[in-house]
Amino acid sequence: MATVREKGYSHWDGHLIERRFPWWPITRTGIQLAFRKKRFKIIFAGAFIPSVVFLVGLYISERLEDFKTFLQGSDRLINISPKYFATYFTNDSLLFLIVLVLAFGAGGLIADDLKHSSLQLYFSRPLSKKDYLIGKMSVIAFFVLILTALPGIVLIIFKLIFAGSFKFFLQYPWLPLSVLGFSALLTVFFGFYVLLLSSVSKNARYVLILIFGVYIFSNVLYGILQGIFRTPYMLLFSVPANLQQAGAFLFGQTLPRAVPAVWSFAVLAAICALSAVVLDRKIRSVEVIK
Amino acid sequence: MTAVIAAASLSKWYGNVLGLNDVTLEIEDGITGLLGPNGAGKSTFMKLITGQMKPNIGTVTVRGRKVWNNPELFQGIGFCPEQDVFYEDVTGWEFLTGLLRFYGYAGTEIRDRAARALDIVGLTADKDRLIRGYSRGMRQRIKFAQAVAHDPSILILDEPLSGLDPLGKRKLIRLIKGFRDQGRTVLVSSHVLPEIEALTSRIVLIHQGKILAQGDIPYVRELIEAHPHQISVRSSDPRALAARFVGDPSIQKMTFGPDGRTLVVETHKRDEFFGRLTGVVLEAGIEVDEISSPDDNLQSVFEYLVGK
Repeated sequence: MATVREKGYSHWDGHLIERRFPWWPITRTGIQLAFRKKRFKIIFAGAFIPSVVFLVGLYISERLEDFKTFLQGSDRLINISPKYFATYFTNDSLLFLIVLVLAFGAGGLIADDLKHSSLQLYFSRPLSKKDYLIGKMSVIAFFVLILTALPGIVLIIFKLIFAGSFKFFLQYPWLPLSVLGFSALLTVFFGFYVLLLSSVSKNARYVLILIFGVYIFSNVLYGILQGIFRTPYMLLFSVPANLQQAGAFLFGQTLPRAVPAVWSFAVLAAICALSAVVLDRKIRSVEVIK
Repeated sequence: MTAVIAAASLSKWYGNVLGLNDVTLEIEDGITGLLGPNGAGKSTFMKLITGQMKPNIGTVTVRGRKVWNNPELFQGIGFCPEQDVFYEDVTGWEFLTGLLRFYGYAGTEIRDRAARALDIVGLTADKDRLIRGYSRGMRQRIKFAQAVAHDPSILILDEPLSGLDPLGKRKLIRLIKGFRDQGRTVLVSSHVLPEIEALTSRIVLIHQGKILAQGDIPYVRELIEAHPHQISVRSSDPRALAARFVGDPSIQKMTFGPDGRTLVVETHKRDEFFGRLTGVVLEAGIEVDEISSPDDNLQSVFEYLVGK
């Protein structure tokens, strides 16, 4: 006689949250794991130094009389205008600090999943490849925006507070959009850049070196090629130079090099497109033949 | 009965390596054992039915719904992979609660389910330890816990018993059978035959990416009629017994066991032999101590089918 089996599914009475953001657990875990690293916490805190310096500069600019003896003719440096913001966003140190934060905090985003074969756990759950990538990208967005958009908006607000009027805002009403636009550009670019490099190795340390290496080497290559060919177009080989060109354009400033900004946008877009293709191919469950 | 999991002409290859070759298979409620040596295609098949890979040819459906690119389907499927899949620096608790978040449960529900799953696998006391410090058996159990924590109706278990000590194996076998008794579907793979035998008699034999046979063990045995059955008869006078069978055309071969009391017969017609054996034993007045079919186990079936 056949076994009679009890249909024993337990009826769940709990509250099922609508899965509007299926990628959120990926983001949450990514951020949590980054902040577990002591070294990362120190780097992350240090990455706010430029914003603090620029905030102090902003305060001084409104109290020029009080700081006259310290400034001694260099008050032009802290003339608050869109250029001041462009300088904040495109200076080498901020870009380098963003790379530093991402290398230590996000370098292992995919590499660690590959190392621990976690992809098969994720993809055997209600999570698509798109959700997975959005989740990882959001971790990078969190770090980049917290170092760019947040201080940028805070600087504008403090400028208005220190000045005690809306004159600055009325003079440059498009400035918040520039801040958000360039922050978004950095987020998208670094998102693809870091995820691409994170997907090429299972070793997060190797990825960390790659993130730095590619960033710095591209600039070195630019210097060498410029020396050989004597043309500013060689900047297209440099990641930071392209970002600075794009930043200057978005803040309405004179471009640092005599090359149309559209070329830099095209190079950055091409890197993102290439990364998307590679990620699409690399992000799949580990294929083990057994 | 409608198949819970259905694969139709499923093929998957990795470059020039064929992982799975034209597999058509239906898996129903209860426990089904997927048996084959390493490299047979078991994990490939499991990855295809858990939607982690796209088949090159063919389709796979779960409860009539296509698997590939259908993440919502996995609300009701639990998968326990063979390899360790952990971030070593998280605790068992964090591992489980983190994975439960993908199902959209509220916070309290996540904690309740994680606690229940840890209780099922007996890891409650170790929930706050880093997975780095877990033993092989504990790692297997936490993997099993993540597969059942969301109460799936289908469980896909890839070599779940590997690395467990005998006691751990027995506990896990009991758990898996408990899931079957609740009316769930369990597909479990192994290359260790006694493990599958302990779980189920319904097996799928897979080798070199092909399904060699499927059904329960006696059914599979019927499929290999070309290979003679081995029957061992321990009696008071095995030579007298052998003399009675010498002229029997259904007998392929007879040998005597090393103990001098056992006659080992190879025959294509097992039922006929057993029918005759009763009469012969009665006629000759031979005392029979034991009749066994030493090859009527999974190992023998498997070896016959893969041509060993």
